[in-house]
Amino acid sequence: EGLIEFYGSFKEMFEFFCKNTTIHGTIRLVCSGSNRMKTAFWTLLLLASFGMLYWQFALMFSQFWAYPVVLTMSMHSEPKMFPAVTVCNLDPYRFELAREQLEQLERMAEESLAFLYGPHASARSSPLGDSSSPLGDSSSHLGDSSSHLGDSSSHLQGQANLSSSSFSLSHNFSLVRTWHLGAGKNHSRVGFRLCNSTGGNCFYNSYSSGMDALLEWFRFHYMNIMAQLPEATNVSQHQEHVRDMVYSCQYDGEPCRPSDYVHFHHPVFGSCYTFNSKGTDPFWTATKPGIPYGLSLILRAEQKEHIPLLATVAGVKVMIHSHNQTPFLEHEGFDIRPGIATTIGIQQDQVNRLGGNYGKCTTDGADVAVELLYNNSYTLQACLHSCFQHAMLQHCGCGYYYYPLPAGARYCDYNRQPAWGHCFYQLYSRLRNHRLDCFQQCPKPCR
Amino acid sequence: AATAPGKKITARLKRTLPVRGPQAPTLSELMRWYCLNTNTHGCRRIVVSRGRLRRLLWILLTLSAVGLILWQCAELLMNYYSASVSVTVQFQKLPFPAVTICNINPYKYSAMKEYLSELDKETKKALETFYGFSEGKSKVRRSVDDWNSTGSDFFQQIPLLKVEDFSRTATELHSGQKRKIEGSVFHKDSSIVNSGDSNDIIGFQLCDANNSSECALYTFSSGVNAIQEWYKLHYMNIMAQIPLETKEKLSYSAEDLLLTCFFDGLSCDKRHFTRFHHPLHGNCYTFNSGESGAVLSTSTGGSEYGLQVVLYIDEADYNPFLVTSTGAKIIVHDQNEYPFIEDIGTEIETAAATSIGMHFTRSRKLSKPYSDCTETGADIPVENLYNKSYSLQICLHSCFQKAMVDSCGCAQYAQPLPAGAEYCNYKKNPNWMYCYYRLHEKFVKEQLGCQQICKDACSFKEWALTTSIAQWPSTVSEDWMLRVLSWDKGQKLNKKLNKTDLANLMVFYKDLNERFISENPANTLVILLSNFGGQLGLWMSCSVVCVIEIVEVFLIDSLSIVMRRQWQRAKKWWSQRGGSGRASDVERQGHDNPACVDEDLPTFTTALRLPLPQDSPLPRTPPPTYSTLRLETAFTEQLPDTLELGPH
Repeated sequence: EGLIEFYGSFKEMFEFFCKNTTIHGTIRLVCSGSNRMKTAFWTLLLLASFGMLYWQFALMFSQFWAYPVVLTMSMHSEPKMFPAVTVCNLDPYRFELAREQLEQLERMAEESLAFLYGPHASARSSPLGDSSSPLGDSSSHLGDSSSHLGDSSSHLQGQANLSSSSFSLSHNFSLVRTWHLGAGKNHSRVGFRLCNSTGGNCFYNSYSSGMDALLEWFRFHYMNIMAQLPEATNVSQHQEHVRDMVYSCQYDGEPCRPSDYVHFHHPVFGSCYTFNSKGTDPFWTATKPGIPYGLSLILRAEQKEHIPLLATVAGVKVMIHSHNQTPFLEHEGFDIRPGIATTIGIQQDQVNRLGGNYGKCTTDGADVAVELLYNNSYTLQACLHSCFQHAMLQHCGCGYYYYPLPAGARYCDYNRQPAWGHCFYQLYSRLRNHRLDCFQQCPKPCR
Repeated sequence: AATAPGKKITARLKRTLPVRGPQAPTLSELMRWYCLNTNTHGCRRIVVSRGRLRRLLWILLTLSAVGLILWQCAELLMNYYSASVSVTVQFQKLPFPAVTICNINPYKYSAMKEYLSELDKETKKALETFYGFSEGKSKVRRSVDDWNSTGSDFFQQIPLLKVEDFSRTATELHSGQKRKIEGSVFHKDSSIVNSGDSNDIIGFQLCDANNSSECALYTFSSGVNAIQEWYKLHYMNIMAQIPLETKEKLSYSAEDLLLTCFFDGLSCDKRHFTRFHHPLHGNCYTFNSGESGAVLSTSTGGSEYGLQVVLYIDEADYNPFLVTSTGAKIIVHDQNEYPFIEDIGTEIETAAATSIGMHFTRSRKLSKPYSDCTETGADIPVENLYNKSYSLQICLHSCFQKAMVDSCGCAQYAQPLPAGAEYCNYKKNPNWMYCYYRLHEKFVKEQLGCQQICKDACSFKEWALTTSIAQWPSTVSEDWMLRVLSWDKGQKLNKKLNKTDLANLMVFYKDLNERFISENPANTLVILLSNFGGQLGLWMSCSVVCVIEIVEVFLIDSLSIVMRRQWQRAKKWWSQRGGSGRASDVERQGHDNPACVDEDLPTFTTALRLPLPQDSPLPRTPPPTYSTLRLETAFTEQLPDTLELGPH
């Protein structure tokens, strides 16, 4: 056998080709040629299909060299349900039961202000002016402050006892200024001290800005006061306020009905109304786009019961969300200032996560290890809050006031758990730094 | 008797269902049988090929085809598992973007007095003259005389003109002189807005210093715009002469601007901000610039966890002619991006809390050949004047600046300096303003070629912002808050703060979803080849193997047959010729004799030694069960027919 063997004639070559070729059918028929007519026909067919092949090749090549790309996106314009809309007036109630304590707290805040920033006057005449000399060390200041507030506590104590409940404001958490020797310059921070139950472990929750410190300090006391309120106080007696806040409500040109909203009270954002919270009423079907076909409200943002140290902004907080979803106004709410007309155009984006092998997500929250404390549909925020509340109960023995309580638990207040603040702030920073495994336990919703 | 029926049954079974052994007695035979009968065509070609080299080539081809199949299948699998999830990716932790904050007023007006007093005096005078709203309304003519006597630089350089009804005459507003307008007229304001009363048109004329007949008149329908533009021109001239260090001192310091700072639930201060000097906005401060350590990130959405700052905007110290609004300008950008505050900044107002919610989108385009974008900007012939990562904006600005330096000889004030250039001022470059306006005109009309050279960046990050405003501080909390903030501001400030001096700003992630939009090629090589495979199979029931086969048979082998025919003919002709003239050709032997050479030609001899085709038909793929196919018998008879097909 040679290296390459060639054929002697075309006859031989064709014989070999017809016997061994891998092009099936057609070529065999051409090769067979038992009938000239048939052979000619099949030859034509073969040539035609060759032609088709090259034409298709050309198309494919031109397509390939155009380098197209694919981006999948779909648009839907069928009528939808109008989303749920929550509006809050940023004016938290002074609950009757806690009114006295709140006033007392405000007096305490006023005293702290006077102590830190001088009596109600300009910053120049601060009594700290001389004592806050650059070398003033923090320990001596601590002593100063505790004695200072010690004086005032005596008469405040008396008043607290007069109130109907057994709750009394604690003076262990007074605001003090601490000085740090910075690079060439003194930095002062304002904060309050938190200790664990034995008093052996303490830290300052301090802020470089007095404003932030005062707000946080007030919020901490406020939580303690509110925690002792019985859970059922609230909404019912304030039901009549609807007329006070919503002056006019129209949807799609028709006036809203009393059944269209749900009222709740938020400890920071005040009185809130959720319109179309269930999303089942055909009244709220969105038929046409455009300003006249949406929801139009005239709201009153009065601050008659205002607690000046709790909410520092005036206006209305608005959130647009899905039906059956607890609105977390602090995350996705936005503000509207009084005195202006605001038009809000909305557009819905739906993100579907594949789940399974592609990434962790949950369809209805049933497979999440955390017991949800909100009886609405699953959201990541709801899960995180529930997870934190469970951690709170486990570590500190009581619940955080801003989140709902599981059955049988109580909110924290420092009359019962004097050290809860210490526990809470540490737990909270652990949550933020991902050292609490809430972020691992709470997957995103799949849609 | 008992065994007889059993034997019968087995015999019958053997007859009806004959049990056969393997198809061939030896292993090599079995392989050969497999290769001949399999549908994997390459295998068959190995066996039926004639010649060792041919066979070797087919073995190599088959093996490499197997390799290719494995590779392409792996690629298809990888595509399947990766491309389908690249649209939205979620992160538990998102890097916080850099936030640059500037006061709208670039420099403290009180500190700038030294440089601007002259200009401001003249601007005030101009306002008096044109609109007569000053204290001494009646003394218009006299003030003009004063002017002429003091010999104002600014109006001499570029006089403000009142254009009369497009009649190509204009009145110099401060002197009352009429002058003829030559050259082209540019309307900076759209003529639609124009009131129609063309007497009101105010503008200024810029002339080529080298050729005074070359002039351009810029008109504005509103005197406010005219005066501001005119002021800005002079202002840039003055600022161009002040060194950077001085300018930084003239502008606001971090302590001036920032009253409180709060990020992710923790207190922060001016050390978290980096200074960045912007030529038009003075000192700006970038939070989380990444220059002093790691980039901060947030793990929770919501305003509580974002950046919260209270800014001190000293309204009393504003430049009255340069800026007409109060507040701050902010921009959210990536750490590697240059903040183009003048182009895409968001303005926030005083006495209000502005919350800015962010949605993060990351986009990735495919570069060449899919679309015309650039990965790093290294392939763009424009030098990047900003030491930040490439963007279209940077390229356009750099391109314009380069054109400016090339044609006007100095650099425009608002953009960074190229190496070896300096900013324009009319002491050194008296002609620059005319040049600048002409160049800018060209740039806007896309005649400079910048828009053609500069390409989009392939990957970019974008923060979509939702802004909402609430009244802040609320009336009831105003009292204590101003007290605390005044103290924080420090002892050096004697007065109590006013709420119109403050602005509250919150920047936060609305949710921690990162939207990642990426392009994937619709046609990869694998898809192209798969399409080919589909087409070949559909129309020809054939594969790459059969394409090679066609090449082998119809090109190489056919050619060799034709060549051999020609050679034989030539040889025949030679031998006939040689037979007639042998006597004369005796001496032509050896290497000169072509007849000698051909004796040794390997192809020829091997061809002669070819074994005859086998009598029995070769084993092959079992023919399809079409009734029309009766190849075995048809072949031996019909071969001459097929032979006719070939050469014609």
